[in-house]
Amino acid sequence: MYGRKGYQLPKDFASGEKGHLKPFNSKLFDETIEECDQNHHLIQFLIRHLSLSICIYFTNKVFCLIEGVDVTRKMEQEGLDVHNNRNADHYGALVHHLSLIHNKRCLMAYVHNRADIVRDLAWRVGLELLDLPPEIQDKLTTLEKRVLQEPFCSYQIVHGKSRNRVECRYGASKRTTNFTRHSMHFLKRTDAELYIA
Amino acid sequence: MASSSDMGSADFESLSSTSDVELLKRAWRNEKAAPEILPYEGDLVERAKGQIELVEENIEAYVENGIDPLVVSLYQMDLDRTQFLLRSYLRVRLLKIEKFMFHSLKSEEAESRLSEQEKVFARRCADDLAKHFEESVLRKLPENYQSVLKQSLISEVDDMVPEPHLDTFVACRSKSHFTLNLYEEGESTQTEEMYRGDLYFIRYKIVKGAIESGKMDLI
Repeated sequence: MYGRKGYQLPKDFASGEKGHLKPFNSKLFDETIEECDQNHHLIQFLIRHLSLSICIYFTNKVFCLIEGVDVTRKMEQEGLDVHNNRNADHYGALVHHLSLIHNKRCLMAYVHNRADIVRDLAWRVGLELLDLPPEIQDKLTTLEKRVLQEPFCSYQIVHGKSRNRVECRYGASKRTTNFTRHSMHFLKRTDAELYIA
Repeated sequence: MASSSDMGSADFESLSSTSDVELLKRAWRNEKAAPEILPYEGDLVERAKGQIELVEENIEAYVENGIDPLVVSLYQMDLDRTQFLLRSYLRVRLLKIEKFMFHSLKSEEAESRLSEQEKVFARRCADDLAKHFEESVLRKLPENYQSVLKQSLISEVDDMVPEPHLDTFVACRSKSHFTLNLYEEGESTQTEEMYRGDLYFIRYKIVKGAIESGKMDLI
């Protein structure tokens, strides 16, 4: 409750080595989602128990869009004194709302930071994602594996298809190089390093 | 004699500083050092690509004609350097677009800094990431908290969109003598005289206008 599960998510992410991915902590993730549901349930419970005047003020400040009512005008019309109508229910609902958005930020930060690392991996590995060792693939969720492939496909849109991709690496030259086993070649480092296993 | 050779070297320096390679180098340095994405140098990139293709054709012709391999390798090295500059310039921009993709598409001013292809890339990246957020997180949250850009429905601004930090300190060099306002309009009228060749370590947002107009370069 009150963001206790949510704040553990960035801690879990930060506890890993910088730039390295830990396995997705689905247990903590699901517990944080459950905490958000509890917060939302309590907000709705507290809203129903507020008196009309407090409800109008609080919904004006926090939930006017939920109720679909222009409560500011209604308050002015009824001459209600806003500041004297706050009570424990009002502040309780506000605390639950703040906890909920705190948890949302933690969840989004966790997913976003993991997606950053996955995207960085995509720039290095490219379309050879499926050739990654199983130890690395196990750390990725199915959704993250899709994130790996799609940005690289977007990059090819920027620079055209395979021809321009080749242009980025080799220029417009049509030179090719054939390697046979145990043969020795004198190549530039930038050309040879792609083939070093 | 000395004065004519000084004039000659000054002319050479001003001439070489306006060559496309030097302009590309300047654009690349500014893009690397700036915390936000700068306006796209479309004409410069097109000219650089044209020159790269021309040099590649020349090198192929030299090889076929049996020109000294040392001379060919020197041309090749120069070509590689230019290609690296161009690729790195584009790569730095793409990385910034990925980092601030929602911010890049938020306003017309931000979007106008991108090339047409970069806009396509940014839109696709933003759609992919928004879809990823929706499927991983947002659909599991209560209804009024499912926005990608806002914390909740009652947020007045897009408070979930990361923006570049324009208060970052940057190192820059002045290219001419001019007067710089140290504060934004309406805050203070304090100014500083910037002299040609001097180095400054200053907040980026103060020199942003000077960099985009070419009066200063980032290093």
